Amino acid sequence: MSDPLVLLVEDEPQMRRFLRATLGAHGFRLVEAGTLAEALAALTAQAPELVLLDLGLPDGDGIDFTRGVRGWSHVPIIVLSARGREADKVEALDAGADDYLTKPFGVNELLARVRVALRHARSTETPGPVRAVGPLRIDLAKRVVTVDEREVHLTPIEYRLLAVLAQHVGRVVTQQHLLREVWGAGHTHQPHYLRVYMAALRRKIERDPARPAILQTEQGVGYRMRDPGDG
Amino acid sequence: MTDPTPPRTAPTGGYLQAASLVALAAGLSSLAHPWLALPDIAMVFVLVIVAAAARYGRGPSVLASALAVATYDFFFVSPQHTFAVEDLRNVVTFATMFVIGQLIAALTLRLRNSESEARARESATAALLAERAALAEEARAASFKARTEEMRSTLLSAVSHDLRTPLAAITGAATTLRDSSVELDRARRDDMVATVCEEAERMERLIGNLLDMTRIESGALAVRREWVPLEEIVGSALTRLESRLARREVKLTLPDELPLVEVDPVLIEQVFVNLLENAVKYTPESTPVDLVARALPPPDGGVEVVVADRGPGFVEGTEARLFERFYRAPGVVGGVGLGLSISRGIAEAHGGSLSARRRAGGGAEFVLRLPPTGPAPEVPVEAGEGAA
Repeated sequence: MSDPLVLLVEDEPQMRRFLRATLGAHGFRLVEAGTLAEALAALTAQAPELVLLDLGLPDGDGIDFTRGVRGWSHVPIIVLSARGREADKVEALDAGADDYLTKPFGVNELLARVRVALRHARSTETPGPVRAVGPLRIDLAKRVVTVDEREVHLTPIEYRLLAVLAQHVGRVVTQQHLLREVWGAGHTHQPHYLRVYMAALRRKIERDPARPAILQTEQGVGYRMRDPGDG
Repeated sequence: MTDPTPPRTAPTGGYLQAASLVALAAGLSSLAHPWLALPDIAMVFVLVIVAAAARYGRGPSVLASALAVATYDFFFVSPQHTFAVEDLRNVVTFATMFVIGQLIAALTLRLRNSESEARARESATAALLAERAALAEEARAASFKARTEEMRSTLLSAVSHDLRTPLAAITGAATTLRDSSVELDRARRDDMVATVCEEAERMERLIGNLLDMTRIESGALAVRREWVPLEEIVGSALTRLESRLARREVKLTLPDELPLVEVDPVLIEQVFVNLLENAVKYTPESTPVDLVARALPPPDGGVEVVVADRGPGFVEGTEARLFERFYRAPGVVGGVGLGLSISRGIAEAHGGSLSARRRAGGGAEFVLRLPPTGPAPEVPVEAGEGAA
């Protein structure tokens, strides 16, 4: 497979310079856009494998752009924004962004998220039944969960919760998304269900539930199943 | 200045009443005429003139004097029922009556003037006092403004110092790295790069703190309460601090039976992050940090979380100062002194408290108390437990 093509939508020259150098050095090809119009043109003409999207662009808002693109494309979108409030993250993720990085961010963090998003996008065609994250192993076909090779007994809700997170390993899944997927559309206003079940799940899966290594909370946004291999 | 009190009687009323006083005197005198000598009657009229002068002022007193003289002459001085005068001594009586009337009127006027002057002085004094009160109010406002200004300038100097210091380090390190004339060995190069990264992180934290402080100060801090297990908030705080806590022992005591708390998890996480960061910053790496949570018994209820360290602690009596903005413990380098005051602001926005105390055996303890908010919501229990 050739070097992945990344579309960078960013209007600030210093950010473009830094990302150009960084991504180039790590084996990515880059196409740059300074406006949403340019981004749309590049997206259709060059079919990039991944989009890095700033939210505040001169000709519009990146969140509307994300929503529009999601109507016709599954290309992974990682939002890079100086808007650091949890509500902004939730809005971007609910609009269809795959991940969200608040400026300033470190290169390692960026590269880890990019790899996760690319891996996820490439694997959607042939998702295997087994997800392994550190000591945790989930066999989605047999519905068997093991930690350090010992089988863990989960309730149906705990299992569904774990399965949804496992489908998005390395990526944050919003509370609303989890509530909808696990409890149904009628329960999206009951986030405490989610928190109580997450606590129960951690007690069964984590070595130290108060210091979760796998099921991490992004407070105010949602949960992320962290793959310890991704750092 | 005008006399604020109205005249006691309207001018026409004064003349009328002066005239009726004279009529009254004439009536009484004629009734008593058989028993009174003429000088006695003159005294009755003098009395009336004095009364009119004292009471109604100069104009009515002139009228009263003229009427009294005329009545006295006409009805009592012989020949009666004419204005003719037999005895010239009576003319002296008339003149005396008239002069007494004018003298009394003048004295009364002077008295009244000085009275209204006194009243004017009094109201002037009152006005002065009001003015002084207004000035004092102004002074208070000015001193508040001065304090605000002082706060602002403290903020500015703290911020500019704390932003410039890391910036100076970043600029220095980055320009050194760029300078091709300097040969840097690998270790020095790594040092420079580490400086840039660390100082940039420091700036990021400072800016975050300043934004939080601004939000709390402006009252724009919205508390979005949700029912959360305390353990989850502690966990997310520890995750956020993962790299900073890598070489530090953090002992957690979180009893299983802790109730759910109804708080804004994002804000309370910030409190834990600030307290743990402080502990890491101000105590030696070899010393442990303890985080102990417990449910408080009734009647208080709620939960208490104590973050305790084994560092140098703080000087007795400085507990309160720790929470002041821009306060930095003596000898401490780095940080702008906002973390604790932000944390207290968050605790108070929840109706709770954050306080500091010296730890028995050495070190500092920070105590977060969150009051109970009501019964936690039910979470339906699943019917079947076991493998899904």
